[in-house]
Amino acid sequence: MTDEEDRRHKGDERRHPSEKDESAMPRRARDSGRVRAAIRNELEEVAEDSAGKEAKHGARPAQEQVITLENISLAFEEPILENVSFDAKAGETVVVVGESGTGKSTILKLLLRLLIPEKGRVLIDGEDITGLTFDDALKVRQKMGMVFQGAALFDSMTVYENVAYPLREHTLLLEDEIEARVREKLQFVDLEPDKVNDQMPSELSGGMKKRVGIARGLANNPEIMLYDEPTSGLDPLTTATITYLIIKLQRELGVTSIVVSHDIRSAFRMASKIALLANHHIGFFGTPEEMTGSDDSYIREFLGGF
Amino acid sequence: MILERFNDAAKRGVYSLQEFFVLAGKALGFIFVKPFYTADLFQQMDAIGVGSIGIVLLTGFFTGMVLALQSAVQLQTFGASDYIGRLIAGSMIRELGPVLAGLMVAGRVGSGIAAQLGSMRVTEQIDALNTLGTDPIKKLVTPRVLASLIMLPVLTVINDFVGILGGSIIAMFYLGKPASLYWRTVFEQILSGGFTLHYIPNDFIQGLAKPFVFGGIISLVACYHGLNTKGGTEGVGNATTRTVVTASILILVVDYFLTQIILVLFP
Repeated sequence: MTDEEDRRHKGDERRHPSEKDESAMPRRARDSGRVRAAIRNELEEVAEDSAGKEAKHGARPAQEQVITLENISLAFEEPILENVSFDAKAGETVVVVGESGTGKSTILKLLLRLLIPEKGRVLIDGEDITGLTFDDALKVRQKMGMVFQGAALFDSMTVYENVAYPLREHTLLLEDEIEARVREKLQFVDLEPDKVNDQMPSELSGGMKKRVGIARGLANNPEIMLYDEPTSGLDPLTTATITYLIIKLQRELGVTSIVVSHDIRSAFRMASKIALLANHHIGFFGTPEEMTGSDDSYIREFLGGF
Repeated sequence: MILERFNDAAKRGVYSLQEFFVLAGKALGFIFVKPFYTADLFQQMDAIGVGSIGIVLLTGFFTGMVLALQSAVQLQTFGASDYIGRLIAGSMIRELGPVLAGLMVAGRVGSGIAAQLGSMRVTEQIDALNTLGTDPIKKLVTPRVLASLIMLPVLTVINDFVGILGGSIIAMFYLGKPASLYWRTVFEQILSGGFTLHYIPNDFIQGLAKPFVFGGIISLVACYHGLNTKGGTEGVGNATTRTVVTASILILVVDYFLTQIILVLFP
């Protein structure tokens, strides 16, 4: 009996919903109902949890603004963003939604100061990063973890080296401390370190790559996590796993997150607030409940049957 | 309309040139700035230098042989075939060694660097490096440029040596000259060009300055095109092609001007 079958026999489904999805393909049809139910339970528990207690933000007051975009305008050959403003308070997850090509990912690049706005300010922890030098911008980026759409794992490095990279680059940790941290982060994203440590990114499935990407983003214990389309190109079960991970990160570590997504279903599950980008402007910024209660015709159309 | 287009193209050209020199300045400046990516440097030296030895040995050896074969016919006409060693050594050390090694490395290594960095660009790995607080120029470009600056002269020396060796085979077996005569004329050629600082033959100055410059050209052109890749896999292909074409042309053009300058400075 393989480990996979063994686990299934013991009914240990809640711990590894996504592993089934990735390594037990032939049995997917039979198991998908049970797995979906397990994920639903997981998400409900997280939601109940969040209703009952405040997220841990370390010592940070919950109302402190960690990320602020003030009247941002940016154009290349044509306008990308016009007068865009929103903020994220400590421990919040703000999901930026909008149609494709509306400049959602540009917002992440502005936050990382990979792009500089033509007008307006980007504040991280109250510090205006728009005027920083390249070297100072590198330092600010160390406060943030970024998960790319295609994971962007370094394909010449193993999984272990990928996750260890920010630690080797910016800390003076000893190798055994780095190993312990990598192990901890991989376990946090429900991967088995002993199994994946030596694998190359090309050997991983899409969902596993995303999870390693999250582990790498987390390695430096950042205050802020940025996600670019974290669920795009994934099957519904893996999408649920990644959504669950983002919620878990917010709840357990109190990380402030900005998620760029067009997956409205996942957005509603994970968002403290939703920013809708339409026609280069922020068309709506508020809680998911406020969004569903809105009478605005564009919002209603965007939400469709949701 | 035509003027506007010309204007746009000129602007783009000047902008690209400026970008290239900014990249070159940063890449070279970072050689002296911590952190030093020593492991990356050695990895690149292995890939660029050790990895290219095979093609350099082959091209050098056969070029030396064909050069000797062609010259033998001409030299025999004038009864000057005893001097074949001088001709081969002069041509290989001053000109053919550096240019051939440069062109071979531009084809093999330049295309590789452009494809690798181009793929990293289109799969967002360059953005990931930036995000993780690493300067991609320092991490990716500087080790490649430094490795090329070090390894191209080494490859050229190997190329020169096997080229002269190839020539000696033709001299011995085709012209029937004794090996001692061939090698004596080789050294005569090296010593006849004058010396810099009393000990360094001017032939060596010319023969080593050129590959040093070519190494810089190849790696910087490849990194520039790689980092500026746009448009997915097709963009990677374009970056690779542009690298090989630009680097090869630059090597041949710069070779002429370098020769002029060196001949004035080290007559």
